[in-house]
Amino acid sequence: MDALLHVLVIGVLLGGIYGLVALGLNLIFGVIRIVNFAHGELVMLGMYGAYLAYSLLGLDAYVSILVVVPALFVVGLVVYRLVLQPLHGESSMQIFATFALVIIFQNVVLAVTRGEGYSVPSRIAGHTLELGDVRVTVSRLAILAAVTLAAVGLHLFLQRTMVGKSIRAVTQDRQAARLMGINVERTFMITFGVGSALAGLAGVLLAPIYTLSPGIGGNFILAAFAVVVLGGLGSVAGAYAGGMIVGIVEAFAGYYIDPELKQAIWFLIFLAVLIVRPSGLFGQPGAEEIGFREQE
Amino acid sequence: MSEPFFAARGIAKRFGGLLAVDDVSFALGKGEVVSVIGPNGAGKTTLFNLLTGQLAPSAGEVAFNGQVINALPPERRARLGLGRTFQIAKPLVTLSALQNVMVGTFLRHPRLHDAEDRAWAVLAQVGLAHRAELRASQLTLSERRRLEVARALALEPVIILLDEVMAGLNATEIGEAIALFQRIHGAGMTFLIIEHNLKVVRAFSERVIVIDHGRKIAEGSADDILSRPEVVTAYLGSRRH
Amino acid sequence: MDATSAAYVETRAARAGGIPRVQRAAALYLGGLILAFVPLAVLSNDAFWLTVLTYTYLFAGLAVAWNILAGFGGQFSLGHGVFFAIGAYVTATLFVDHGLSPWVSLVPSALASAIVGALIFLPTFRLKGSFFAIATLAFNEVALVLANYAESLTGGPRGIQVPFRAGFANMIFADSRGYAILMLGFMALAVGVSVVLMRTRLGYYLLAVRENEDAARAAGISVVQVKLRATALSAALTAVGGALFAMYVRTIDPPTLFSLPDVGVKFALLALIGGMGTIVGPVLGAFLIVPLESYLRALLGGSLPGLHLIILGVVMLLAALFMRRGITGVIDAALVRWRHRRRHV
Repeated sequence: MDALLHVLVIGVLLGGIYGLVALGLNLIFGVIRIVNFAHGELVMLGMYGAYLAYSLLGLDAYVSILVVVPALFVVGLVVYRLVLQPLHGESSMQIFATFALVIIFQNVVLAVTRGEGYSVPSRIAGHTLELGDVRVTVSRLAILAAVTLAAVGLHLFLQRTMVGKSIRAVTQDRQAARLMGINVERTFMITFGVGSALAGLAGVLLAPIYTLSPGIGGNFILAAFAVVVLGGLGSVAGAYAGGMIVGIVEAFAGYYIDPELKQAIWFLIFLAVLIVRPSGLFGQPGAEEIGFREQE
Repeated sequence: MSEPFFAARGIAKRFGGLLAVDDVSFALGKGEVVSVIGPNGAGKTTLFNLLTGQLAPSAGEVAFNGQVINALPPERRARLGLGRTFQIAKPLVTLSALQNVMVGTFLRHPRLHDAEDRAWAVLAQVGLAHRAELRASQLTLSERRRLEVARALALEPVIILLDEVMAGLNATEIGEAIALFQRIHGAGMTFLIIEHNLKVVRAFSERVIVIDHGRKIAEGSADDILSRPEVVTAYLGSRRH
Repeated sequence: MDATSAAYVETRAARAGGIPRVQRAAALYLGGLILAFVPLAVLSNDAFWLTVLTYTYLFAGLAVAWNILAGFGGQFSLGHGVFFAIGAYVTATLFVDHGLSPWVSLVPSALASAIVGALIFLPTFRLKGSFFAIATLAFNEVALVLANYAESLTGGPRGIQVPFRAGFANMIFADSRGYAILMLGFMALAVGVSVVLMRTRLGYYLLAVRENEDAARAAGISVVQVKLRATALSAALTAVGGALFAMYVRTIDPPTLFSLPDVGVKFALLALIGGMGTIVGPVLGAFLIVPLESYLRALLGGSLPGLHLIILGVVMLLAALFMRRGITGVIDAALVRWRHRRRHV
């Protein structure tokens, strides 16, 4: 019983991490249908941004959110406008371009930091709490709290604000949205910015946990895609739930089956869902068709 | 002749709460030309998709040469001799007109040179031989329509389903198209045509079926149906020919 | 023969110029082969460039193999690393454990890869575009984990080492030029298969399926069968490349074989940059990127870490933005402009 609870807690906390990283990607892939390989690198930039905020401004990691997240929003806008918008409709080239961005981002950071590993201390993050028999670090709890808050916030944003509503309109039917006067391109750009900002948020919150390295984005990107597809495109609740599922499955597979196989397990589940129900567990059936009709 | 050549019996299609096609039955004899007319959104193209296998019926059956073909996917029906064109022409855009038609002729002629020779013949038949090596994307609308027909003819079908193949053509082009179809009909082809242009229907149909709200509401000879005042009123003022 | 038929026969004969098509294709192919051999003849004494050329030929062949399914068939796969690895593992294992000549092992390698490819890709064919890409990516990751895990089969994380027993039958060459010729042969094979494929019914059906599945079905094409056959062919060729790779580097392990940037995704990148969906495009892409990458690494690798990759990344980004249809697209556009100018002088 102890072990079960322990594994469950690990799974949920891990799920929080995956969900947080996937929240932004869900927006990007779900709305614009771009396979953004560079999403992991945006998270990485967020992590290094937290480090910069710490070393230059002495900001605690959690405070640096106020600086890093808007910065990543801008980075997202720029990347979309300069690279992805010109390639609109050419999905293969877009994938190619995001891959080029991965190489550029990783190696620019590598060159600037000269391969030194950094860590970002945080006064709050290191503390541990005890829930029953299980010890949990504040940093991971903070992530869980953050992903929950961010998911709720994103949901409200999409439901209540004009920008959010236009994003939802564009997700469902680009032609109709255009006919209603929504500037689809600008909506995409904002979506990409928000998605990148969420990636930055993930990066800042993850910074106290991991040792920073330029290639760290690669650890998250595939899990993030799995979460997005599992949960359902464009569904915030789906990304949240998907993250939890992946995290819990990984924890249980790691404990009860074999730690070496844990990643393969959720990949297989992801493949099964993709084949049986491509719109994901919480997405609308047929949602995956949208966006491809226009790519002509 | 007990078994009709091509028949739909009680065909229906339901999409969730919407009954797009409701208990439609008709039969074609070999060599007949039958037109299907009806207002926009009446379910005519859905009916076609049910006949060709693009959609599976919710009820009823489709029979071809006495064989019930409900379970057959579109490609099997094509191999049996059922050819069709699409309302929104679907040329294979990066291929040349010749290659487009070859995709069809390969069905009966697996070898490259045979398929190519047959493709030239089909293109000549529809009057596109001089545009054969242009990319499909460079063809005019009328030429694309003819390419659609060519690709269907390439399969050497015994029945051909045309979906609004005259839409957007001018009077000369329509005249040429009708002449082409009459030539093909003269060689023994059976036609089932969806058409909005009543002049075409009158010039090139023996029988007419009227579909409205997914149901067959009338059937008879072209002269009979087209002289009915309610049919004519339904069309006057809504389309320009 | 009626008037219409006579007319078309005349048009056709006039256009063809009397030269039968098969011979023209064969002539072009052989010409291309000789052209590809020139760098080898010129650079065979420079150890560095010889290695670069060897890798270039190999990856050109692999990109061509990938292109069969992705460029001609429209199935954008990021999971070809799986086929590459199968070829490498099967051949290496049969050689190390059973002393079987790699030349012979090419057959079971190709076969195993084709079967696995058909099996795992079949359920994913209904997925569109990016979803198919991500699904194949997942295959690569699952295979990576399994390869690390199944130590008895694959040697686990350490992989397999092929001992250096030189000899033609062993496909191990003391003289590096032997490997260069081997890889050139592989490239010639892959390109040859592409050329022949595009002159068969399967090739045309593949293009039709890529363009419009509904129209293809209406033309009597079984879309699933076509995709399966293309997958099997593409996977088999890729596996052959993997087998040759194993005998060249003689040490294979999961991180190398399943590396996305260096293997699985690289095939796609080379074909894209050279021109997806054309026969020579992937070859051109390989001849641009592989030497460029090696040259940059040699030139700048010692200085600022990562600098050579930054430059490579920027080149790739610019290529994506300004050469949308790849190198062949640029050549095509230039030809169109040239013809247009000639006609309007």
